[in-house]
Amino acid sequence: MGMRGKPVFLSPKTYVWVWMILIFLTGLTVSFAGMDWGRWGMVILLLVATIKSSLILNYFMHLRYEKKIRLFRWIIPGILLLLVLFIGFTFLDVVFR
Amino acid sequence: MDAVRLGETQRGKHFYHSEGGLHWLLEWIFSTDHKRIGILYLVTILSFFFIGVSLGFLMRLELIAPGPTFMLPQTYNTLFTLHGVIMIFLFVIPGIPAIFGNFFLPIQIGARDVAFPKINLLSWWIYLIGALLAIVSLFTGEGPMDTGWTFYVPYSLRTTVNVPLAVFAVFILGFSSILTGINFITTIHRLRAQGMHWFRLPLFIWSLYATAWVQVLVTPVVGITLLLTLLERLVGVGIFDPAKGGDPILYQHLFWIYSHPAVYIMILPAMGVISEIIPVFAHRTIFGYKAIVFSSLAIASVGSLVWGHHMFVSGQSDLASLIFSLLTFLVAVPSAIKVFNWVATLYKGSIEIKPPFLFALTFIFLFSIGGLTGLFQGALATDVHLHDTYWVVGHFHYVIFGGTGFAIFGALHYWFPKMFGKMVYEKIPFLAWVFLFVGFNTLYFPMLILGWKGMPRRYYDYLPPFHSLQFISTIGSWILIAGLILLFGNLFYSLFRGKEGEINPWGGATLEWQIPSPPPKENFKEIPVVDRGPYDGWVGLS
Amino acid sequence: MTGALMMVGSVYPEIKIGCFGFYRLLKMKYYQDETSSKMGMWLFLSSEILLFGGLFILYSVYRFKFSHSFHLAAEALNRPIGTVNTLLLLTSSLTIALSISSLKEGKRSVSLLSLIATLLLGLLFLGLKYVEWVEKIDHGIYPNSPRLLERNSGEILFFGLYYSMIGLHGFHVLIGLIVLVIMGILIIKGKVNEDHFIPLENTGLYWHLVDILWVFLFPLFYLIP
Repeated sequence: MGMRGKPVFLSPKTYVWVWMILIFLTGLTVSFAGMDWGRWGMVILLLVATIKSSLILNYFMHLRYEKKIRLFRWIIPGILLLLVLFIGFTFLDVVFR
Repeated sequence: MDAVRLGETQRGKHFYHSEGGLHWLLEWIFSTDHKRIGILYLVTILSFFFIGVSLGFLMRLELIAPGPTFMLPQTYNTLFTLHGVIMIFLFVIPGIPAIFGNFFLPIQIGARDVAFPKINLLSWWIYLIGALLAIVSLFTGEGPMDTGWTFYVPYSLRTTVNVPLAVFAVFILGFSSILTGINFITTIHRLRAQGMHWFRLPLFIWSLYATAWVQVLVTPVVGITLLLTLLERLVGVGIFDPAKGGDPILYQHLFWIYSHPAVYIMILPAMGVISEIIPVFAHRTIFGYKAIVFSSLAIASVGSLVWGHHMFVSGQSDLASLIFSLLTFLVAVPSAIKVFNWVATLYKGSIEIKPPFLFALTFIFLFSIGGLTGLFQGALATDVHLHDTYWVVGHFHYVIFGGTGFAIFGALHYWFPKMFGKMVYEKIPFLAWVFLFVGFNTLYFPMLILGWKGMPRRYYDYLPPFHSLQFISTIGSWILIAGLILLFGNLFYSLFRGKEGEINPWGGATLEWQIPSPPPKENFKEIPVVDRGPYDGWVGLS
Repeated sequence: MTGALMMVGSVYPEIKIGCFGFYRLLKMKYYQDETSSKMGMWLFLSSEILLFGGLFILYSVYRFKFSHSFHLAAEALNRPIGTVNTLLLLTSSLTIALSISSLKEGKRSVSLLSLIATLLLGLLFLGLKYVEWVEKIDHGIYPNSPRLLERNSGEILFFGLYYSMIGLHGFHVLIGLIVLVIMGILIIKGKVNEDHFIPLENTGLYWHLVDILWVFLFPLFYLIP
């Protein structure tokens, strides 16, 4: 649904494209995991996972098309921020204990 | 604005009126009317309040003299655990949002019901199921819990008593809280009447809004923590078990990520109630509306990042303690802003002392003591001395009982005519207030001194030097209970014998005072169009 | 015995009326605009994210403390099954998205077929999960098993987290499957149709979230570098 009751129509083509990118990215992560990236390995894995989930959020879940309502625009970034803060504050203890 | 006449033209069948066809009890427990659900919550929550009070009374009685008085140490451990669990999870956390929020949120924003009426009913059922499971846990397994309301590991993993079911019950209760939160946020976003802009929302609604976000976003964290504790008991996953390398301090982190914001779930709606009552009885518009709004939001957000101040002596890192302590002092600022705004609202108002107002004033007084004593604990060095002493117990009761408890008394008297269509007999509450105020301070102030002198909390016994203060405290509990009996006795009396409730007995300007008492089934015949702020133009006493 | 029967007999009418009351409640209709329903769903999903969030906090701390043991323990996981499962869930996300868009266009049978495809993919996911867990348990690696307790605490915690997080995720998939079946029935009955598709759309949102969680769980457990 868009802002004023107009359903979001994405053509099946778009969905299939997004799906193909997702499959490609999965292949990419699996092959990356075989290589030795040192401490960057985890960062890369998480980065790819973030890209994949933002594709799902924006296209499959239509978040991209609901942004006229403020709550939909801020909810996911807000929650990520909260989670990062929770993890960060816990690490203030764990790392410096 | 001729609110009184507007109400009378709308007089129709009120929401208590039976539709027939069903047994009256079924008609209630299957009702999706937000007002009926509010009343259902009122009945269930107050029942648990009375159970909690009785448990507290028994604990105080045991402590009247050193040494065993009339119960075993294990019974005492069970009592303080149950008192905590019942009062926190079954009374104060749902308290104001579930009772008064359900009843008045749709009315105050000009809606006919909440956004999801069935889910609203579901959340009451979940509350009931959680509460029943908690009761079942007392009589099954190896006996009732003795862990304290915090269920700290590793003790909760080792004790033989029935922790799993109790923990599961609290997990279930969490769902009820989350569903209420989702309902409130959606309702406030979507169902405001025409012209009810965000900055025309009554402050009670703003406080519920901030609270609802906290409910939705941090309750699941304690949910998973309790679920893991349950898993630990059942299959031994080892995540919190130090014997397997798990870190019990992480349990404390996760527990307080929820349970510290939970005290804001308890106090924020109470602050909202006070913000409603103060302008009505000071006959002035509220001072600093936006400051109060933003302080609610600030309390909810910064308050979610101060959990570590419960763990200053747990062995967490000094850096973490330092930052949590700093944030704790910061979060005191928005609370203080609210207090200043309430006091400033009183200035040059034409104040009329009525029972709701008296309880609101008492809230400000007791909450200030509670808040300021909290700062002592927020200071790192002082906390080492005060941690786990009666000081903490005293502080907490000043905030939660003196704050939220008195706000609930205030709300009950303020909205009683609207909810039940009966006026409260006005003389007795003043008498009850004297008992409550004197009893409350006699009960809890000695606790602050006891804690300062080093009396640890949760102890069954104490040394002779503490005797006189413990004795005074127990006397205080009797006075307090006398006050409670008077207060609720009078409310019951008014329920059956009170004069017919007026539409707007106090001269309030918010929307609930413009519809009949008790409100008709769908609140408004026509959804009102709002053209002014919530406290502009009080309509005068009818 | 007869006493008990008589008691049941005497409350039977009450039970009947009770069921009627519940039935009446289920049949009740409310006007609900679609944006509200969707907003409620997104709020619920946020709550779900933080439910898993608690576990992610624990994971990151233990991962930090025991990074070497986590690496070793992760090698023992069945990476091919994990990868196939990822592909299955991603594809099921596609099929449910297609199911929703075809329902909106009024192609009910296409919608139903895509829904069934989603259901099958989800079932396959759980089946592979079952195979994976049985294999692990046969090797004596499950919470509190003697074999596991012999290992160091990092590996015990890895498998503790593995079973809790993957298990909770699997539970969510199971709930999703049940909801999918209900949606299928509602589509067949015509209760969910091109004019009233919000239940299916919300189911889709939930299913996609379960997918997103897996997108993070997969590298965190199976691909630790």
